Amino acid sequence: MTMITSNPARQLFRFNAGYWRATPGPFKVGAIILAAHALFAVIGTFWTPYGFAEMGAGLPLSGASWQHPMGLDQIGRDVFSRFMHGAHIVLLLAFAGTMLGMVAGTTLGLISGYVGGWFDEITQRIVEAMISIPFLALALVMIIAAGPTLAGEPVLIVFVVGLVYAPRITRIARAAAMEIATREYVAVAELRGEGTWSIVFREILPNAANVLLVEFSLRLSYAPILIGALGFLGFGIRPPTPEWGLMISENRNLLIASPVTVFGPGLGLASLVIGFNLFTDGLSRMLGQRPVMGA
Amino acid sequence: MSVFRLLASRILFSALTLLLVSILIFLILEALPGDVATRILGRDATAKALEVLRSQLHLDQPALVRYFQWLGDFVRGDLGVSIATGRPIGDVLGPRIVNTLLLSLFAFAIYLVLALVPAIIQATNRGKAVDNILSVITLVLLSLPDFLLATMLLFLFAVAVPILPALATISEASTWLETLRAMVLPAVTLAIMMAVYAIRVLRDSLIEVLRSDYVRLAELKGLRPRAVLFRHALPNAIVPALNVTALNLGFLIGGVVIVERVFSYPGFGTLLIDALQLRDIPLIKATVMISAAVYVAANLVADVLAVLLQPRLRTSR
Repeated sequence: MTMITSNPARQLFRFNAGYWRATPGPFKVGAIILAAHALFAVIGTFWTPYGFAEMGAGLPLSGASWQHPMGLDQIGRDVFSRFMHGAHIVLLLAFAGTMLGMVAGTTLGLISGYVGGWFDEITQRIVEAMISIPFLALALVMIIAAGPTLAGEPVLIVFVVGLVYAPRITRIARAAAMEIATREYVAVAELRGEGTWSIVFREILPNAANVLLVEFSLRLSYAPILIGALGFLGFGIRPPTPEWGLMISENRNLLIASPVTVFGPGLGLASLVIGFNLFTDGLSRMLGQRPVMGA
Repeated sequence: MSVFRLLASRILFSALTLLLVSILIFLILEALPGDVATRILGRDATAKALEVLRSQLHLDQPALVRYFQWLGDFVRGDLGVSIATGRPIGDVLGPRIVNTLLLSLFAFAIYLVLALVPAIIQATNRGKAVDNILSVITLVLLSLPDFLLATMLLFLFAVAVPILPALATISEASTWLETLRAMVLPAVTLAIMMAVYAIRVLRDSLIEVLRSDYVRLAELKGLRPRAVLFRHALPNAIVPALNVTALNLGFLIGGVVIVERVFSYPGFGTLLIDALQLRDIPLIKATVMISAAVYVAANLVADVLAVLLQPRLRTSR
């Protein structure tokens, strides 16, 4: 008996299970949905029932069946295979874009909040100006400005999501840094003669982690919607890559003939965002943060 | 007096923000590849014609000069000429803005109802089944992308149960009733998208206020529950929701782009998309500047309202 309980692997497992049970309900549901999506995306990267660009996988517009759970589009491509292949694209784009925004926004925000003075003043004015441009308009203008060679490239989408998010994250990080900068351990670090970078990244960043983690999760929830909206408007990833927003837009004129080709991918996108939102909600409760709403 | 100074500084900062927005937009669009003159006249244009057009559009001058020219014209109300149509932008924008304003007002009216009613029901039935069900519905709607919600509503009320028109293509010839009917679906979509953000904030702040001493006092002095709720609790609970409403106005401008696109509504949003697709730079600049100005103005109004509604904020500085 003692042998079993002292088994490190077993202990780790029990520890995790106990931890898992203690998490709030929304977090559990969200985590399960996200895990399912991740698994689906991994499988879809390597295997789909039909090719994602394979025309004539069946009778076009023949509706949902066991062979084609999301029906077939106008040129006979299996919508489920496209949806499955698109899963990893949506997840990777959302993650990379949010990550870029987090790195840029956190760095700028923490330094601006800690250093203060004219640097902070200028940063804040620019951040304010960028937030004043509706994010969709800002994203679209940047996509246009990037020109035709970059249009439709994943790199551009990641960059645009990052740039749209960065000023919003800067604001949050700055507020957190300003609050933490007044604490004693920061004063002690200053007396020790630590440099600005060291204080920002060794003292302030770890203590702002809770706020930033919730912010990351919140931004990540919205990223698939933003990327989908760009695809939907025809400014996102280039066809025939099956990004979900683009698929919804492509199949929208089939709404009368075969609505499942729109609502299949739509349901997938919605469930992903629901998963992210529940996860964020639970995470913010666990970390003692108030969830911040609004884009 | 201090209120006055506070307001003055807010207004000054708003103006500064807009100035920075104009610089940002100008710089981003300056990066746009390709020659504007070639785009207007086509590839076969003679060098002479191109040069004449360039000097007409002041393209031969340095960027700094062009920026101040554009800004000066913009502030004086001269928005320039659309490249794609050759018409003055003011003439193109005017009717579109009126259409979008109508749609937004309609959406805003629906939004008030959609935000207030569930929040009041939830706050007064806290922890009960109604509260939980409404929370779940709010969360699901919050997670629906706007283009998907618009498409779903379109499918439900224009295809499955065809009671409303699928396309909101209104014109001057349409009667009031037709216009109103055409606007129902886009307006409801916008209202739902905004309301889901506000419901949670309103619910939480209403619950907080309902627990406060002055509400208890109002109850103890024997006021009817309805009077307590609407006269004492609600006005105080609305202040935190004001910020969300200002944020929502910012969202509304973005959401309008998608929703108008889905329903082919001839408004400001579709104009922006058209301008972007045609690379019509003067039109893009004008539309983005106006949308930023609306956002800044909305935030300013929300700030001012928050100051006026909450005495505590008035004396804080």
